[in-house]
Amino acid sequence: MKYPRLSRRAFLKGSATGIGITVAPLGSRAFAALFEPRVTAARDQWASPSGAHFRIDAISKVSGAKVFARDIRARDMPGWPQQQSHAMLLKATRADRTYQGFDLSLLDDGLQPDRIVTSADLEQDGVGFPESHGPDPLLPEGKTPLFLGHPVAILIWHDFARYRAAKNALQFRDDLIRYGAKTGEVERPPYGSFRYVRVGGETPYDPDVFSSLKDSDLFPTIKNRRPVWPDDPSLNGDIGEQGVYHARRMQDTLDDPPDNWEVFQARYTTPYIEPAALEPDNGNGWLDPDTGTLNFVVATQCPFESAHETARMLEGSRFDVRHLNVHPGYTVGYGSKDHNIFVYYAVIAALYGDGHPVRLANDRFEQFQSGIKRHPFDMDYRLAVDRDSLKFQIFRAHMDVNGGGRANYSASVAAVGATAAQSVYYLPRSDLATTAYPSRAVEAGSMRGYGTLQTMAATEMMVDELAERLDVDPIELRRANVLEAGMKNTQGAIPGGAIRVGEMLDKAERHPLWKERTERRDKRQAEDPDHLYGTGFAVSHKDFGTGAEAPMASVEIDAEGRIRLRQIAIDMGTGTATSQAMNVVDFLGRPADDIKTGETDWPELTLETSGNPYTMQQAEQDRLSRNPRWTPRLASPSSASNSAYYSSHATREAARLVFRHGLWPAALSIWGQGIYGGQANPYVMRLEDARWVEGHLTASGMTPIPLAKLAAKAHEMGLVTAASVHAFNRWSWASAEFPLNDEAPRLPLDAVAVKYGDDDYHLLDRRDVRYPDVQLNNAHVTYYSPVATLVDLRVNKGSGEVEILEHYSWVECGKPIVPELVKGQLEGGIAMGIGHALLEEMPLYEDGPGNGTWNVNRYQLPLARHCAVWKQGSEILPPLSDTDPAKGMGEVVMIPIVGAIVNALAHATGQRFRDLPVTPERIKEALHG
Amino acid sequence: MAELSTRPLRLTINGQAVGPVEIPDDLMMIDFLHEYQGLTGSRLGCGQGICRACVVILDHDDGTSEEMRICITGAHFFHGKRIRTIEGHAEHGDDGDVVALNPIQRKFVDHFAFQCSYCAPGFVNAATVLVERLEREPVARADLEATIDQALGHHICRCTGYVRYYQAAKAAIEELGLVKEG
Repeated sequence: MKYPRLSRRAFLKGSATGIGITVAPLGSRAFAALFEPRVTAARDQWASPSGAHFRIDAISKVSGAKVFARDIRARDMPGWPQQQSHAMLLKATRADRTYQGFDLSLLDDGLQPDRIVTSADLEQDGVGFPESHGPDPLLPEGKTPLFLGHPVAILIWHDFARYRAAKNALQFRDDLIRYGAKTGEVERPPYGSFRYVRVGGETPYDPDVFSSLKDSDLFPTIKNRRPVWPDDPSLNGDIGEQGVYHARRMQDTLDDPPDNWEVFQARYTTPYIEPAALEPDNGNGWLDPDTGTLNFVVATQCPFESAHETARMLEGSRFDVRHLNVHPGYTVGYGSKDHNIFVYYAVIAALYGDGHPVRLANDRFEQFQSGIKRHPFDMDYRLAVDRDSLKFQIFRAHMDVNGGGRANYSASVAAVGATAAQSVYYLPRSDLATTAYPSRAVEAGSMRGYGTLQTMAATEMMVDELAERLDVDPIELRRANVLEAGMKNTQGAIPGGAIRVGEMLDKAERHPLWKERTERRDKRQAEDPDHLYGTGFAVSHKDFGTGAEAPMASVEIDAEGRIRLRQIAIDMGTGTATSQAMNVVDFLGRPADDIKTGETDWPELTLETSGNPYTMQQAEQDRLSRNPRWTPRLASPSSASNSAYYSSHATREAARLVFRHGLWPAALSIWGQGIYGGQANPYVMRLEDARWVEGHLTASGMTPIPLAKLAAKAHEMGLVTAASVHAFNRWSWASAEFPLNDEAPRLPLDAVAVKYGDDDYHLLDRRDVRYPDVQLNNAHVTYYSPVATLVDLRVNKGSGEVEILEHYSWVECGKPIVPELVKGQLEGGIAMGIGHALLEEMPLYEDGPGNGTWNVNRYQLPLARHCAVWKQGSEILPPLSDTDPAKGMGEVVMIPIVGAIVNALAHATGQRFRDLPVTPERIKEALHG
Repeated sequence: MAELSTRPLRLTINGQAVGPVEIPDDLMMIDFLHEYQGLTGSRLGCGQGICRACVVILDHDDGTSEEMRICITGAHFFHGKRIRTIEGHAEHGDDGDVVALNPIQRKFVDHFAFQCSYCAPGFVNAATVLVERLEREPVARADLEATIDQALGHHICRCTGYVRYYQAAKAAIEELGLVKEG
């Protein structure tokens, strides 16, 4: 879940600022003339109807083609000046004194920047900055930096050699910045503070007594920069007070529990993590003075947001920007390139290039210094269990989240972390409170796991320890409490579909790694006295999506049967382009021939938005939805594991329309040719009998028709040959009726445009649109994918070093689109989880990354030797049927491994570790004191 | 103003003679490839010679070759030398499209070995050096996995967990007949 901070009104074509916007992804066919060789392979190379042979972008990627924005220089861009300028950010590395300017006199005259941009320039020239990234993108003199590494100026050189020499001279110097009076850290209120209280009914299936979904989330008063809750809450008070009343009763019960309850309490902390996306943040822009066009190549997970916020920045500025051309590259971010301020620094650099293209590209030190981080959590957990039934009774989790110096999804991460803390368990009563605080650390933001990694891993560590305390098998305790279909989560919402965690528990329990764990440990330790051996298990399920998903896609088929797919999603290495191209197979018999990802130019869908989809009232939504062009949200970034399900929804619905209202009636026409209805007449033709066989359509024994012939017929008859769709999901899909060929089908979409034959797009006038109730915001999550992991490891008694010997995982993600991509996500997520559990950490403040000296020489990223490369296995649970949707799983894969490792360490050492990462030093201290 | 001290560089890149190019004395090779040659496939990862996203292949006159970390190696080190970069492995058709990959590239593609691919050039070059070494001296079956560990083990990938790179390298080595049985 993410809360956009701006209530904005914009249009998919152009923008409210009057600056025209087009977005041409680097890999797109449309852009192919600009970049050779193309990023995507020809369809018959990479895929067949039965599956993907390799990634659609694989050939380009493996042969060193320019696929990243980072690879692009001015000379690669048609029409740009050949000479590339380069820029760097100058940053303050103290946050306890006022900033009083900078001194570049150590540079020879010849190395002085050709242009320096400060806050004074931005103010004088009327250049705004996205409000959500404020304040003070470039710190004015006289103010105290909000955080370590706060930028104060952009320095620009018009040739590489001088830029490089100057940067070498400036980097790592802490005497460039002048500081004034000591002020201490800038104090600010929390970024967000929330509480989620639930008191369930008699059974998990009865109505709740109180919950977020039934009643409300709870919000504190902020006093002295801390959340304050009512002292003496009453059931007769307002809804918030009632919620706190229930929370107090839970606390009282935990303090004085029934005799047969065990109440477990522990504090867990998680590290400050560098995403370390190997492509560092970068952008390269040129303001063409002749045409007023700002051309901008950028690495981003959210090209739509980047483009539109850039346009807003320039509104009212002295720069005569009339058009914005944005070119997002294939990229990687793990969340860190979502809602990233760096994009706008690169825009500013381009504006001040004095006609030269300017490239702003972090090196790794700079990326550590300014890149978005994973939030550290500090969690206080209490869990009560009935010793007789082994049923959990009350879960109380209060947590503080460090968001660093700029607000960037911190409130949202805190909320998502809290609402995920229940992991896979049914909890009859729960009290989850969470607060995201600002600090002088480098900002934390969206990063893979989005708070759930932190909270669910802790829950899995807690449950394992509780099982030990109760002297029951950890899997048995989990099974006794697993949340089953129809039960409610801690917000009072019923998760979608079947819940198959129980299957995973059964499989794990039978796996030799688990069954033989103690006997294997004892045998090994007898043979190898230098090591301690252990096996651990954990299971988690994580949401996918944000509660305000707005996917868009179009599918077009030309008269020769060539399929063209456009998607707003962008490929971050996860394989989105490949899987989306495969998504049309069910409806069109083969993968798409052309795909454009990162597409945000949708002139056929003239939509507009206003209000905040997360916070609007029902009456406001009802009023706004009377406008047939209104939608609660225009577009989503590529984030929150959203491509497999949400992006696929748009692709599949568009393909379904082309089939249902184009190819199918074309086929009926062909089969019905001749006297008395031709070959079709003796049989009964039903849509549900349609099947694609080797690229040909058949049904009920009809002659198979090749796609090209069907497409030609559809064009000839003026049937639907293209569909462009927009959808909205607030834990449920919006729907509307759309007039199509004398029908008015209700579709899970809120905007549809179609082409008939060779015509242009026609926007269909939707009727009776039904958006999910705004109260569903309080569900916070209804879509889950589960993963379970077993880990076998050993610990060196002397050094404390941990070696993972083997691991095995199960993932349930519905019907995978490309199983190899799912497995790849799993394997990579496990590696990232290993880093989180055992290797990665940084100091938050003066000794941390904000000082500009951090790099991988002292930040240990997982290497192959840490991951048991040759000794790991996994299983994707077969879908229940081929109608299962594909579910997002890019984040959940990294969570169970964390708990499983820590639980394995307990099995090995007899010690419980609650502060991550579990470093050799911490292990040695636990073992030897 | 103090002029930047420069001198000419000549070398062979992917079989093509390059230079003389007048470049600063202390220019790193990665900057030479990126900013002077337009070859950006060798990626800047850490700038410290640790992650190995930048490695290229240095070919010696005796027929051997080695990986070079060009983010920490000056461009002038390569004066008169021959290197191969990621851009040089595949065969391209007249229209510039790739028409054939080297065996390691092919296996990496078939195994879905990489995701974002930022590190892929380093892995391709390291595995290619390994394959060429094993062509001269095949590896015993029992040592195959350890040999791959040794050849690729210092390379950093943040996306994949390394599994498919390793499996692909193993499959390539086996299919090329570079494993001694028994």
